[in-house]
Amino acid sequence: MDCKQAASLMHEYLDDELFGEQALSLKKHLQGCPSCQMQFKELEQTELMLFATIKRTSLTASDELVDRIMKSIPSQHKQRAWIYWVKKHPAITAAAMFLLVMLFSAISLWNSDDQLVVKGKDLDQVIINGNTVTVPNGSKVAGNLTVENGIAEIYGEVEGNLTVIDGSLYQASTAKILGEVKSIDQALDWIWYRITNTFTEVAYR
Amino acid sequence: MVDHFDARLVKLARQGDQESFADLVDLYKDKIFHLAYRMLLNRHEAEDIVQESFLRVYKNWERYDEKQKFSTWLYRIATNLCIDRLRKRKPNYYLDAEMNDQEGLDGYTLIPGDERTPESEYLLSETQQTIHHAIDGLPAKYKSVIILRYLQELSLSEISEVLDMPVTTVKTRLHRGRDFLRKKLQHKML
Repeated sequence: MDCKQAASLMHEYLDDELFGEQALSLKKHLQGCPSCQMQFKELEQTELMLFATIKRTSLTASDELVDRIMKSIPSQHKQRAWIYWVKKHPAITAAAMFLLVMLFSAISLWNSDDQLVVKGKDLDQVIINGNTVTVPNGSKVAGNLTVENGIAEIYGEVEGNLTVIDGSLYQASTAKILGEVKSIDQALDWIWYRITNTFTEVAYR
Repeated sequence: MVDHFDARLVKLARQGDQESFADLVDLYKDKIFHLAYRMLLNRHEAEDIVQESFLRVYKNWERYDEKQKFSTWLYRIATNLCIDRLRKRKPNYYLDAEMNDQEGLDGYTLIPGDERTPESEYLLSETQQTIHHAIDGLPAKYKSVIILRYLQELSLSEISEVLDMPVTTVKTRLHRGRDFLRKKLQHKML
């Protein structure tokens, strides 16, 4: 056995992991090698000193530390559950956030529109009085006409579609509407209308 | 017996029982503090580590495996926090290096006096001081193994669990650390 091997066996011995034949061969080497004997003695003393010294210097943390820790704990608990969940499901969280934002913007848009809006390409002959939109008898609206939040009274002619949103429609017997007539009241209908409208607008632009 | 008591406390604390949690803190705070102090050599930072460790325990109960000893898990959290701290520190200068202009002064003399150093609270023999000084001078990767071994008296396999490294690595580090200390303490021996 050379001294390098012996050194590693010494450590094994100090780790309580040297048994039987190996222990014997280390002993034999030590008997014949003064420098290893010296090293072994030093290692053994180091080991003892370490165990004794470190243990004896018992350090104590300050007494108010327990209080400090306990105080910092409960408030964190409530947040923890959902934060943990959010961290685990980033995709669902993002999707949920998206839906939430969409929903809010849709609702706010829907609610804020309580002003009368009249849309159409040819509004020259349309008469607006209060929230009543009148197409008088004998006149003609070229293209589509859209009325939001108002009463549409049609005596004349509309060459395109007529859409009434959140309002009411009165058609006189003289009315003539060449396109479709649509009445939209409900939120869902309204959203659908918005979406299809956006798409058709984009498509025909 | 102690383990059994621990396990009961851990179970209760885990279910949200604040009192049991406080008991656990009380039971382990000094051990963690001692560990952190030996690693960081700063009382204030060591207390931070204790606090942070228990916060992590509290936040991560669901990750605790009951088959594992609670102490092992706690030491692991604390040791990792200490190692992170040491990593963040900038090793601009070595404390042991002597200053050029004034003989006998080294970096330690320049550290603003943390008046209540644990060392000052106890009467330590010169030998004991030398030993502490020698441990403090160890590189971090040996230091953690040495501290867990001699301060917390963990077995090699427990250390390997705490540090999340194979037992063979723990052995190598323990052996090197021990040899390093032997050389430092040589002249102190009979």
